[in-house]
Amino acid sequence: MATQDLKIGVYVCNCGTNIAQIVDADAIQETVSRLPDVVISRSYRYMCSNPGQEMIVKDIRELGLNRVVVAACSPRMHERTFRNACRTGGINPYFCEMANIREQCSWVHADKIAATEKALALTRGAVNRVRYHEPLDPLTAEMCPSSLVLGGGIAGLTAALELALAGQPVYLVEKTERLGGNLARVDLTAPYLYSARDLLSERLTRLRQTPNITVMLNSQLKNLSGFIGNFSATVESRNGSASPEVKTISVGNVIVATGYKEFDAGRITHYGYGKLPDVITSFEFEQMLRAGRIQMKNGRTPQYVAIIHCVGSRSKEFHGYCSRVCCMTALKYAHEIKSALPGSYVSDVYIDMHAFGKGCEDFYKKSSEVKTLFLMYGKNERPVIRKSDPGDDCEMLIEVDEKLSGERIEIPADLVILMVGMEARPDAGEVARLVNISADKDGWFIESHPKLDPVATTTDGIYIAGTCAAPKDIPDTVAQARAAAARILARIAKGKIEIDGVFAEVNEDYCSGCRMCNELCPYSAIEFDAVKKRSHVIPAACKACGACVAACPSGAIKGRHFTDQQIRAQIEGVLA
Amino acid sequence: MAIRVNPKLIDDLEKYGAEDVQNCYHCGNCSAVCPHADDVFVFPRKPMRHLQMGLEKKLEQALEPWMCYYCGQCSEQCPRGAEPGETMMSLRRWLISRYDFTGLSRLFFRSTQAEIVAVLLVALLTGAGALLYGFRRGDIRVYSGAGAFLPSSFIHVLDLGIALVIFAVLAINVFRFWRSSLAGSGALSMPWWLYLKKLYLLPWHFFTQKRYAECDNNRLQSIYPPWLFHLGIVAGYVTMLVLVMVFLDSLQAGPDIQWSVHAFGYLAGIGLLAGSVYMLRLRLTKARVQYQRSHGSDWIFLVMLFLMALTGMVQHLLHRSGWLVAANITYVIHLMIVVPWLLRMPFTKWSHILYRPLAMFFAGVRKAALQHQAKTGMPVGQMRQAA
Repeated sequence: MATQDLKIGVYVCNCGTNIAQIVDADAIQETVSRLPDVVISRSYRYMCSNPGQEMIVKDIRELGLNRVVVAACSPRMHERTFRNACRTGGINPYFCEMANIREQCSWVHADKIAATEKALALTRGAVNRVRYHEPLDPLTAEMCPSSLVLGGGIAGLTAALELALAGQPVYLVEKTERLGGNLARVDLTAPYLYSARDLLSERLTRLRQTPNITVMLNSQLKNLSGFIGNFSATVESRNGSASPEVKTISVGNVIVATGYKEFDAGRITHYGYGKLPDVITSFEFEQMLRAGRIQMKNGRTPQYVAIIHCVGSRSKEFHGYCSRVCCMTALKYAHEIKSALPGSYVSDVYIDMHAFGKGCEDFYKKSSEVKTLFLMYGKNERPVIRKSDPGDDCEMLIEVDEKLSGERIEIPADLVILMVGMEARPDAGEVARLVNISADKDGWFIESHPKLDPVATTTDGIYIAGTCAAPKDIPDTVAQARAAAARILARIAKGKIEIDGVFAEVNEDYCSGCRMCNELCPYSAIEFDAVKKRSHVIPAACKACGACVAACPSGAIKGRHFTDQQIRAQIEGVLA
Repeated sequence: MAIRVNPKLIDDLEKYGAEDVQNCYHCGNCSAVCPHADDVFVFPRKPMRHLQMGLEKKLEQALEPWMCYYCGQCSEQCPRGAEPGETMMSLRRWLISRYDFTGLSRLFFRSTQAEIVAVLLVALLTGAGALLYGFRRGDIRVYSGAGAFLPSSFIHVLDLGIALVIFAVLAINVFRFWRSSLAGSGALSMPWWLYLKKLYLLPWHFFTQKRYAECDNNRLQSIYPPWLFHLGIVAGYVTMLVLVMVFLDSLQAGPDIQWSVHAFGYLAGIGLLAGSVYMLRLRLTKARVQYQRSHGSDWIFLVMLFLMALTGMVQHLLHRSGWLVAANITYVIHLMIVVPWLLRMPFTKWSHILYRPLAMFFAGVRKAALQHQAKTGMPVGQMRQAA
């Protein structure tokens, strides 16, 4: 769809010396200036700088350019910059095209001549392509201010409160019969020894005082359809013996805060969990602490308590990752045991002490000062617990190769606490499928970017918070929950959602209703209209990956900004 | 064979002065800075680890605490305030109590009060005995010769009696020391003549305390002052001991005292007084890390040493000045310090006068044994393990 009077401007960026020291930018500028329809071509030190952008704006205004090609870095870096320059100059931002001659050229090649030839080919491709660019406009959609929060643990509670206190309606869906999640099973928290009960009751009191939170207990999400700003969620609630009540609610955003499950200690046989009566898990010990009585199965008070770290974590056999909270929890036990039973001795059998959080290193030091016996064993080695011999003053003996001394030792113990790690909930896969996000090999939900976008997911409008994303402690969980809420509030504050003009479009005249694309779309962005027997794309959900475009047997789907013609022209330009 | 961990050991050692050992996280800075640590004797780190873990058996065999003279560099370097130097000191106290079969040592180190009570009790008994003897057999106006209040013949017998008791106890304790460090479960197979070959180390270290002189490689002076004063104390003490045990007659003689006895006596007195005053001053001013945490046993040791030298000197001066009554009274007071001092020797800090050079001897034997084993083809790994 070439217009009659094309006026193309080509700008070759030197990127300081990043591009220019390998690629002869001036030669490219010189060569492309002779291509048809190229009105102006320039080579400049930094195209992304203000003078560089102003150069484009000025040329559009003075020379009447209607297409712009920038041969520079990756479009991920600066496409937005140059599209904005086009908009400022007065032409549609999608009339801009970039040729990546830095990441894909000067940074990866050493041969100057070959690199310059390649850069020229890429630039020629871009010039050829830009002729067929069409003016596109971003779409907008309404943003429903309600949010759905899945999971009533500390992450879900915090996120829900954050949203509700900002005045937005929240539906808090909890699978079990009470709020609090795993935190409700804990006594004190490390390293400041705040009571978990106090932390939770503060949250729950706030929750009760906040009017716009609808708490749905014994409830589960059954279906989620739609796209950011316009989701429709089906929630099933079971109350007593009555048949489940199914509700459909409209929400704009979803926060997934479904938490974790503890590792099943019975899977490791050499710890004797389930066979030796006084080998217990950390959660069973929390129960003792909450009940205010540390005792053995026979009712006696233990003299020797041993804590074994990394149960199910950091091992080849079970989970390779670190569960992050167990080390400090173990130190917390040492403190609690020493203060409850001053005559007792605590042995802490660990692999490495991970004391990375705020206040944690001090806490570690304090635990040394209360005379916790720190004994180090090797990764992928296993301490073995056995019953003690008659005449010993302890119930059990833990045999292990101690790393720091190089000695094989046996540690006396009356009570052994296994620090069970975190693992993804068994229904994590089901949740991921429902809300259309991905999980990694361990079952933890994947964030949009591990560093720069740790609360969003690859599906717009779906956020993750807390331990469903990976093991983390309470401060990190709360921070992530509040961050997710803040992201949603920012979206709500904008009022409308802006949707990028680049998405797939179904030409309903050609669509045969085969539904191949519905199954294929990784973002669930294609809906089938049962009445019309045609599929259509939801622009807000579409990521413009092009899978449906390629797959459609009728050729009914067009990828906007990635039309066949544009791509063919680009290839021809590169090969010319 | 796994070694049993004794989680209670750390509590026990606290009473001997090791209060901060659990702070150690094994960076090894202490062993790196120590001028005495080597490939075979890795300390303070290794004994610190064994102590943290409550490996009593390993510690009983250890010679490492005796290799340390506490210059304090390790404690200054320690990033966690684990006081490795103080831990070595405490381990030496603990080892003394382990070698001692009577249990008195354990009692005294764990309770300063108990030691003070014992010292006072023995002092009072001695005083009472001396007065009783003096008033019944002698004349308080006579100091030496016939009719003396406390004649040298009587004191000589008393000295020999005490020496017999001490040597009996020490012999057993030294045997226990040898058995636990060289002959016990961690014993190395070696020919007996290695003992003969290394025997010279015993007198060498006894008389020179050479390794103490090598302490503190950051010091500015060419001579390490604490070593010099320590040498003064040991030399003075040994000289005085010889004078008292062998030449008591001449020492307590009348006006015509032998010039040699006189000279040695003064030199010994000066060594003891100067040494004890110097050490007391260091501990009082807490000038450096090794003098900051004095244990009760350290104070009793130094105070008694000082008083013993002082009363000895005063008694001599009074005698020479002709104030014989005063000299005799001072003599009784002197005896009240000397007798408990001598009797408590095998159970307290002073026993290191014997254990320390013995440990140097044993350490020499152990090193020679390891070399011997290396030559006869024992794998190096096992060799280190045995060490």
